Amino acid sequence: MTKFLKIIVPVLLLALFYKANAQVVGNLGDVQVDEREFYTMTKQMGQFMHRFNYEEDPSGKRLYPGDKDYRNPVKRRESIPLLFDLENPRTNGTLRDFFIEDLTKNNQYIEFLGGEWFSEVSAKFIWKGKEVDVSMILAIEKEGLGSKWVLSNVFFSEFQKYFPQGELSEREKHFLHPQSHELDFMNIYKIFEDSQVIEYYASNEYTPDYLTLFFYEIKQGNLKFDHVESVKFHVLQIDNWYFEVSWFNRSGYNSGWLISNLIYLKAPEKETLLKIYQPRQ
Amino acid sequence: MKKVLFAIAFAFFALTGYQAFAQEPELNPERKQAIDSLALEKVRDLSKYVKLIGSKNTPWSEANRVIDRAEELFAPDAEIGVSSLSKTKVEYYKVRKYLERLMRLNYDRVEIDWYKIQYVSDLQRQPDGTYVGVITIFQTFKGYDAEGRLVYQDTTKKDITVYVKRKETQIGGKLIGFWDVLLGDMRVKETTHK
Repeated sequence: MTKFLKIIVPVLLLALFYKANAQVVGNLGDVQVDEREFYTMTKQMGQFMHRFNYEEDPSGKRLYPGDKDYRNPVKRRESIPLLFDLENPRTNGTLRDFFIEDLTKNNQYIEFLGGEWFSEVSAKFIWKGKEVDVSMILAIEKEGLGSKWVLSNVFFSEFQKYFPQGELSEREKHFLHPQSHELDFMNIYKIFEDSQVIEYYASNEYTPDYLTLFFYEIKQGNLKFDHVESVKFHVLQIDNWYFEVSWFNRSGYNSGWLISNLIYLKAPEKETLLKIYQPRQ
Repeated sequence: MKKVLFAIAFAFFALTGYQAFAQEPELNPERKQAIDSLALEKVRDLSKYVKLIGSKNTPWSEANRVIDRAEELFAPDAEIGVSSLSKTKVEYYKVRKYLERLMRLNYDRVEIDWYKIQYVSDLQRQPDGTYVGVITIFQTFKGYDAEGRLVYQDTTKKDITVYVKRKETQIGGKLIGFWDVLLGDMRVKETTHK
């Protein structure tokens, strides 16, 4: 019951508030119906960022530095819960409360050009005649007078299959001894004996470059883009936290771009996660 | 006539302080709001044109003329990407093709209305310095058959790219700067709202 109240109360409050302010923002159309669902919907990722930072008030008015309520911590604390998927118990418990406490206590905000946020575009491709799923990771990169989205990594199960982690004991069996050079590397043929484990002969620092593989397969004509299935965002800008933002196309007052996953991360774990999204940084 | 309108438009920009933009293209909130208004004006024109094109009361030749006007609002390579709740795969159309499809819809009567809500994003600069924004609007569509029965309806979210570029022109020997606004790709996505 408490959980139910926790979810329903903010939604009802929000709905009542928007009713009072429903005519403030728009003036384009002529539909004479209840538009509160669209006011409350977080319509763009940019709007998510402004709502997250409390740079937009509940009536939809943009707040700029110098405005009285710009980034108001009390109001921010009240409004951030509405940016969570309220139907998901995983993002609506104590963890969320800790997160909001951390954000508002330490004045942490997200910035469009602040780095450490990524878009994941899940798409269908055709590979060797069959439809496959490929996730492309994109990051904002500054260039020239502005910025652009660039590909930073790609996930495709067929590529991952080529580079299984393998048992350490098995990996340790595969090496060229340190005096091999004195024998003109006559033992180098061993590297090519089992192509499935060739990477065991690379440096311990080696990690496969899936993006290059992806480009290669596209250039070879083996992998062909078909269509985009969905888009979501991974945000790592907040110290010690990771969260995911997904699109919720549904009725009610909790729709649009919302937080669909939240994880508490210590700095080293965050570094590992960042390397997955942006291996070349 | 076009030339006269052109001259009037530039005189308007000059008189309303737009020349102040000439030296410094960075955007403060006031300038951003002025540009938002220009961009919304284009979107308003588009919504007006879409209603006319979709209406069965608009004669064929007139609808074609309106399509020409609507096409002029967009950058030449702009595309419309459409998906629905049942068909999530995005279908791509050139602007003209999309509007012609709207004109040829097989309903006896259609109603196209726009919600009052709109959302205008920040303007971000792309590498060549052109500002890019996105305006989100919502539209309802209703199609009726000859007996007046509602046979199809949807509510779509339309995310429209807006390109804003600083341009200059000479009027009476004086260099006048102005912001040129052009619409770009438009993503049309069906919502669950009825």
